[in-house]
Amino acid sequence: MENLDFARLQMAFTLGFHIIFACIGMVMPFFMVVSHKKWLNTRKPHYLKLTKAWQRGVAIFFVTGAVSGTALSFELGMLWPEFMKHAGPVIGMPFSLEGAAFFVEAIALGFYLYGWKKLPETFHWITGIIIGISGVASGILVVSANAWMNSPAGFEVINGEFKNIDPVAALLNDAWFTQALHMTLAAFAATGFAVAGIHAFQILRNKKPELHKAAFKIAITFGGIGALLQPISGDLSAKDVAKRQPIKLAAMEAHYETMEKAPLYIGGIVDAEKKEVTNKIEIPGALSFLAFGDFDAEVKGLNDFPQDELPPVPIVHYAFQIMVGIGSLLMLAALIYFISLKKKKWLENRKFWWLFALISPLGFVAVEAGWVVTEVGRQPWIVYNIMKTKDAVTPMPGMEYSFYLYVSVYLILALTVAWLMNRQIKVLNRSIG
Amino acid sequence: MLYVVLFFTFFSLFLYVLLGGADFGAGIVELFSSRDNRKLTRDTIYKVMGPIWEANHIWLIILIVILWIAFPAYFNVIIIYLHIPLTLVLLGITMRGVAFIFRHYDAVIDASQIWYNRMFRISSLLTPIFLGMSFGALVSGEIVITNDYSQTTFAEIFISPWLNIFSVLTGLFYAALCAFLASTLLIGETSAEIRKIYSRKSAFFTIVLVLLGGAVLFYGYYTDMVFVKDFLQNTLSLLAIGISALLLIPLWTAIKKQRSVLTRIFAGAQILLVIFAAVNTHFPNLIITAGEELNMLEDIAPYSVIKVLAITLLAGGFVILPGLFHLMRSFNMIKFSMKENEEEVS
Ligand code: HDD
Ligand code: HEM
Ligand code: HEM
Repeated sequence: MENLDFARLQMAFTLGFHIIFACIGMVMPFFMVVSHKKWLNTRKPHYLKLTKAWQRGVAIFFVTGAVSGTALSFELGMLWPEFMKHAGPVIGMPFSLEGAAFFVEAIALGFYLYGWKKLPETFHWITGIIIGISGVASGILVVSANAWMNSPAGFEVINGEFKNIDPVAALLNDAWFTQALHMTLAAFAATGFAVAGIHAFQILRNKKPELHKAAFKIAITFGGIGALLQPISGDLSAKDVAKRQPIKLAAMEAHYETMEKAPLYIGGIVDAEKKEVTNKIEIPGALSFLAFGDFDAEVKGLNDFPQDELPPVPIVHYAFQIMVGIGSLLMLAALIYFISLKKKKWLENRKFWWLFALISPLGFVAVEAGWVVTEVGRQPWIVYNIMKTKDAVTPMPGMEYSFYLYVSVYLILALTVAWLMNRQIKVLNRSIG
Repeated sequence: MLYVVLFFTFFSLFLYVLLGGADFGAGIVELFSSRDNRKLTRDTIYKVMGPIWEANHIWLIILIVILWIAFPAYFNVIIIYLHIPLTLVLLGITMRGVAFIFRHYDAVIDASQIWYNRMFRISSLLTPIFLGMSFGALVSGEIVITNDYSQTTFAEIFISPWLNIFSVLTGLFYAALCAFLASTLLIGETSAEIRKIYSRKSAFFTIVLVLLGGAVLFYGYYTDMVFVKDFLQNTLSLLAIGISALLLIPLWTAIKKQRSVLTRIFAGAQILLVIFAAVNTHFPNLIITAGEELNMLEDIAPYSVIKVLAITLLAGGFVILPGLFHLMRSFNMIKFSMKENEEEVS
């Protein structure tokens, strides 16, 4: 493999790592403030215990998210200096606003973590809400920068230089809204199901059922709403991709031949050499409908694009299938939960809790898969139709060492955080009351 | 508008060097504390730094973001040629960040604390050294900008600019600066008898700092470095360093009398003067490579970008600075009189 491949792998790995912590950092504060509010209203001690336990979680995840994010803001330049040199000024606006949002978040977090018994109760609680809102705001802003890479706007290329830059137009590019909406919902769905699953497992083990049921309920309500809305927003995203990046859409669907009434494939094995898909289920016309809202519309196939501009089709296709498959599953699970609010008997069935315990990590799998669709689907471009990834990479040789370094450090970190979370739960279960 | 951006660039640099530096320094002081004092130092650091811990480090992010938006050509040079030391800085920031939070938020207190502590202290020492080495490399005149990699070796381009005596000395200088800041800050945070410990530490690190500062200048002078020569000929810079050195006298008196507010003001002013002296010498040519001096104000982003950035920074500043101030005030990090402090201690 070349330097470029290692730089790509490193980018993918570090972003894939950061996104998990970022999602949790965006969403956990909301769980925490709901539990906190319930404590303020009811003064039932288990809510206080839960709030404090989640607060420790927020602190640990926040810092891991923050240090990996700090690394990312250097890495964009370290790995892709040519990209940053030209694109930096154009997409600077979301990043500078994001910096402001981080700051607000960090200040609010300082108040929240250290404010117990020192600040007036309501003010203290509100600082918790501010953590959540500014976290979501930074998520939206950074995704808008990514959307710009998919749908460049707000500048003109004159003799290889980016001229007539309009940072506001770059921020409000065509893709920002659909991507930001989809990402925010994804964060809620993934974190909600992950947290709910952990507590469902504790309920199965019959540890502190009152506390864990309260926790489950808060997490699954957020996660369930996210999961119900996610397919709708995903459909908007797909229509959007069909318009702005038809080649990505074709790769997502492994759609090789241009045709009207294009069928949608479910499953299937892609042979990129022979340009065909075997072992698939076909739904006639569904792809045309999905992409353009019309069963008869023509969908351009991969064969009709310049062959040196194709992304790695199998990766994009499989990742897309994984995301959509998980999306449908989570939506079903969300429905089951909301029905169980009426049918209380379900809650006594251990299968109910097993379901949520088992699907716990799937939301995050879908998040990673979705990002692979977006990022690998954009290849070979770093800025769609403007700049190729290979022209942006650092001239420094030896990127493999950097990659191995990041992988080992982050793996150790991830294991440590998992181990710490396990300890938090153990202590929570052991506590009196 | 460019001036607004420049102001925020140096403002973030100053605050990062000051607040981030005090933060790194806290770990260094802990490292150099006797066994009995370590726990005490650790708890004090947590009390003082905890609430603004996260905010301290965002100044670095703001600085980086401003650089890449407004001064992309400059950022490009920094980020390509200092790839390795900056990676080491990031590694250090990561290690000490997580170690700090792990040791305070781990649900179980057991032997793993030993590891968190070690990780925290050692990375607290190494990170500012690498950061200082990066600063040193920028003005060392050793960076070779080239597109022709067949003429030069990997080491010449990517290693020797930062791994040389001058850069190592600047690295050590910055680490000493951090330790000096932290011990000065800690003086005000403890009860009267313990204060002595930090007063002594503060005095010790002041001496180390002055010695290392002298070493940087001597070494640069005898090896004919452009930056140091210009520095020594620049009246304003010399004046700033002179005042900063003179401030040591009232600083020491304040330390002796254990006046925490005054010591902090003096220490902050000294950092400001040192940065001013360094920047003033060569502004706007803040990067000195082997062949040329790079002007920061050449090849900047177009005006439309600068304008939007300036507005964002101003608007952000209006929200953030009062918030930060209120945060520090709420947790007693900024004190207006000793009295308030005494009450809290007793
Ligand atoms: C919990 C996670 C999750 C779930 C259940 C889904 N997605 Fe998704 N999807 C993401 C998480 C995600 C993501 C990781 O957040 C992405 C990557 C970039 C983005 O904005 O969101 C994404 C991207 C993404 C894109 C590419 C957008 C682009 O490149 O601009 C499309 C077309 C879809 N999704 C469509 C769907 C559909 C039709 C789903 C049906 C159920 C679906 N997603 C469920
Ligand atoms: C889809 C991608 C991303 C999302 C949704 C996202 C979101 C977030 C969120 C919510 C945080 C706050 C940390 C927390 O609460 O745990 C965070 C931290 C951070 N992110 Fe990301 N981020 C993404 C990608 C990036 C990228 C590409 C960069 C770099 C250019 C970046 C830079 C940062 C930085 C610097 C921080 C630390 C801020 C601090 O100290 O609080 N992020 N991110
Ligand atoms: C957090 C979620 C994200 C994940 C998991 C992710 C994943 C990836 C992957 C897999 C690649 C490599 C693609 C390839 O070379 O085949 C990549 C590249 C890249 N991503 Fe992302 N990405 C994320 C978000 C972002 C965001 C928010 C930004 C910028 C604002 C960004 C900027 C880049 C850049 C600059 C590259 C390198 C150039 C390229 O390969 O196109 N990514 N990312």
